[in-house]
Amino acid sequence: MKKIVWAILVTVSGVVLLFSYRTSLGAGTTVASSTTGFSGSIGGSTGSGTSSSTTSGSAAAATPSASATASASTGSSSSSSSSGTSTSTGLKNGTFTGSAASTRFGDVQVAITVSGGKITNVAVPQYPNNNGRDVEIANYSLPQLISETLSAQSANIDMVSGATYTSEGYLQSLQSAIDQAK
Amino acid sequence: MSAELHRTVRVADVMGMVISVHVLTHAPTVAGVDDATADAFAELRDIDRVFSTYRSDSDVSRLRRGELTLAAADPRVAEVARACEEAEAVTRGLFSARFGGAFDPTGYVKGWAVESVARGHLGALLENADVAAWAINAGGDMQVATAAGLDRDWRVGIADPARPGQLAAVVELRDGAVATSGTAERGAHILDPRTGRAALGATSSTVVADSLAVADVWATVGVVAGIDDLGWIRECPGRSGMVIGAGGRTRRWVSGVEVAAAAGDPFRVSA
Repeated sequence: MKKIVWAILVTVSGVVLLFSYRTSLGAGTTVASSTTGFSGSIGGSTGSGTSSSTTSGSAAAATPSASATASASTGSSSSSSSSGTSTSTGLKNGTFTGSAASTRFGDVQVAITVSGGKITNVAVPQYPNNNGRDVEIANYSLPQLISETLSAQSANIDMVSGATYTSEGYLQSLQSAIDQAK
Repeated sequence: MSAELHRTVRVADVMGMVISVHVLTHAPTVAGVDDATADAFAELRDIDRVFSTYRSDSDVSRLRRGELTLAAADPRVAEVARACEEAEAVTRGLFSARFGGAFDPTGYVKGWAVESVARGHLGALLENADVAAWAINAGGDMQVATAAGLDRDWRVGIADPARPGQLAAVVELRDGAVATSGTAERGAHILDPRTGRAALGATSSTVVADSLAVADVWATVGVVAGIDDLGWIRECPGRSGMVIGAGGRTRRWVSGVEVAAAAGDPFRVSA
């Protein structure tokens, strides 16, 4: 159950962390981008091959790792739960690739795999170095995507996050209804 | 699967907002739950007494008037002042607790207070095997935790800024924090520290993070930056987030990188 060892935050620093830990991922760095069902503005390579690049030097990691530690918050656990609850969250199964974002270390791109309404994998098909290597980070705690939802799907909601309501506003709020109903 | 869970809900009006604590237990009543919740509320009232800018006799008010030094104030004020400085540095000035020269940590205190009170008073509840999970929601910002091994997530709805009482999104998490800043409920009350004007570039910004203090700061940053500028997410240690702008335009990000929306985007479920 302890799949969560590292707080994942693939901010720039997180990506850098990945580099640092590539070695520990072992040789079989699998490729996660099977890229189904997503069309559109995808910059960069979504390699679907099995580029099992063996580890190269960690030169790139050396310098930025200072910033990695600086902004890495300590790892408490995270959201990746393996429960098979089905997709009431509006997430469809498949692998989806985000557009590349340029960071000060180079372009970074993530692909997420959704299964059963949950993110089951986050991969970084493009990252600085530009070698087209893929890194799978499934063993780390997975960040939960905020999924959009259909209208007022208040059923089964425990808590409501929203711009601060005042004490007066609370009475009309969805949270108030939940507090009373539960 | 977990068997049926019992839910204790306690609600209190503190710091000008309503705070809800939910504790899930395996037994109908579990000793210690009510005390922990009451202690959490009591400490929040005490923090309000020290930090409220609405109370002329609070430490922060006296500090602002020059009647008190930081060294002589409640030690938590210095702790918060330090944290505010750090937040200003890591957000590159998109968050600031000293706009206009006067120290006003209000934008930081809420998230920090709720998180520290939660960890201090609710955190230990999970040491009791009868307690399954707890959550504290303070005016829309929350910290939650779940016992190891329990197959259950907290389902958190993100309020739709354009449609009161309805949700724009849902996020599930076992442990961590969700904060949302925006203009929907209280109007344009967030100032852009760079200009001193109201931040209007986004109606809502949500950040999911380990820590509520962190999530709260960065959610505010998202509103200040506006929906056209997601540059800050690279520096943000949050797990994921969402920004909503005019006309319901939505951008989402995971781990510092935007998850793009495009035509035919399977993420997008049109309402």
